[in-house]
Amino acid sequence: MQINETLDCKGLSCPMPMMKLAKAMKGLNSGEILEMLGTDPGTKSDLPKWCDKTGNILVQEEDLDGGVHRVLIQKK
Amino acid sequence: MSESNKEPSALSQLFNTFFAKHWPVWVGGIVLGTLNILLFAIKSPWGASGGINNWGENFYSLINVFDLQHVTAVSLSSYGMLCLLIIIGSFIGALFSKEFALRIPPIGELIKGFIGGGLMAIGATVGIGCTIGAFFSGVPALSGGALIFTVGLMIGVIISLKYLIWEMDKFPKWSSGKSYTFFAVSGKKGTGQIILAWLVTIGVIVLAYSYSGKNNVLTWFIIIGGLMGLISQRSRFCIVKAFRDPFMTGEASGAVGVMAGLLVGLVGFTAIKIFGIGAGETAARAREMTWVFPHFWLKAGVGGLIFGIGMTIAGGCAVGTLWRVGEGQVKLWLAAIGFILISPISKLFIVPSFDKIIPQSAKFKNFLPDYIGYEGAFLLVLAIIIIWYVFVKWNERTGKFSAF
Repeated sequence: MQINETLDCKGLSCPMPMMKLAKAMKGLNSGEILEMLGTDPGTKSDLPKWCDKTGNILVQEEDLDGGVHRVLIQKK
Repeated sequence: MSESNKEPSALSQLFNTFFAKHWPVWVGGIVLGTLNILLFAIKSPWGASGGINNWGENFYSLINVFDLQHVTAVSLSSYGMLCLLIIIGSFIGALFSKEFALRIPPIGELIKGFIGGGLMAIGATVGIGCTIGAFFSGVPALSGGALIFTVGLMIGVIISLKYLIWEMDKFPKWSSGKSYTFFAVSGKKGTGQIILAWLVTIGVIVLAYSYSGKNNVLTWFIIIGGLMGLISQRSRFCIVKAFRDPFMTGEASGAVGVMAGLLVGLVGFTAIKIFGIGAGETAARAREMTWVFPHFWLKAGVGGLIFGIGMTIAGGCAVGTLWRVGEGQVKLWLAAIGFILISPISKLFIVPSFDKIIPQSAKFKNFLPDYIGYEGAFLLVLAIIIIWYVFVKWNERTGKFSAF
């Protein structure tokens, strides 16, 4: 799976991860994939709801070592 | 047989219900609203800025600054202890769910945390209350000033959100750079966090019991504070989120959660005030004027505006800051420190100057039932909540007022 852009939100708390994500997704073309790395537990709740609302697809999410949450989102 | 042994036990399933996933915000809102009624029945409703100010006054008293002679010790302050227990309750919730970690953001975020906390302190002292006392409790208390404070909050949030979006565009480096995370666990690791959670829980029970018989109100404030912290952390209950997200991503669940808590509080508070429940030897009038502050209208409006700007920059309202402190968000540690350090200074130097320049007609107690009766006040607040609900759900669907 080709990742088109990586967004590093490690250490950031609400609302910065969601704001940065929304802005980064605007810069992608349909079908492209963004990788987001973050440590804010709140993003785990906010992200699926935001994807449902916007139609973007939450392709994959996993917990990495060091408390890092990694998600892949495909632009609709 | 061996297969059935692998099934989680009933207690494991119960544990997972509470700690495996975040709770819906509306569940948190309803439980917090119920606990708020309980606080009111025991003594007086939920508040946060008073407790945080108590910490600040104790700090300055300890270092002999500002000549603060008659400061109540944190250990004897109901609201000082309530705030402390919200942090500890959140810490317990974060440990049980293995979400605790020290998260140190880039330096620009730390500075914004401190400035946001300082602005919240000024807003809370000028406006006599924060997002809890002057909003989450003030609105159900049928205070006209609380409604004005709410308008101020919303305008402050919109201004501050526009600033954050501008900053992200023009100065992206302010919110990026080196960050650090310590003590994070994932997967099946993290038994240490669970053990520590149990130890801290036992500590809270012992602490509550130590006041029993001598100060039963504090016993209950300790228990309820701990529960409020845990519930806020698990449901990510945050009032800045309720005001901000509809104008940011359009998401409405945070707002709906807060509305659920307001509705529960509205019913309970109205009953307590009408029947004078818990009035004891105090006059029924004093009971019904509880949490109706002398800030209608300008004082509440200005305080709410400054508080709204501060909490959006900090990324946490009064309670949102406290429970994020408990889960290890270091930006909010700076916000709490800013709040603690600036609050007594604002109370001593900014508030008296501000109060001098505004007339009495812009800072009086406005109890809505005095003007439109209990029925009218109840229906007015209910109507505002319903209109707000319809707006955020419509906006969630259409995105008309959302930045993204």
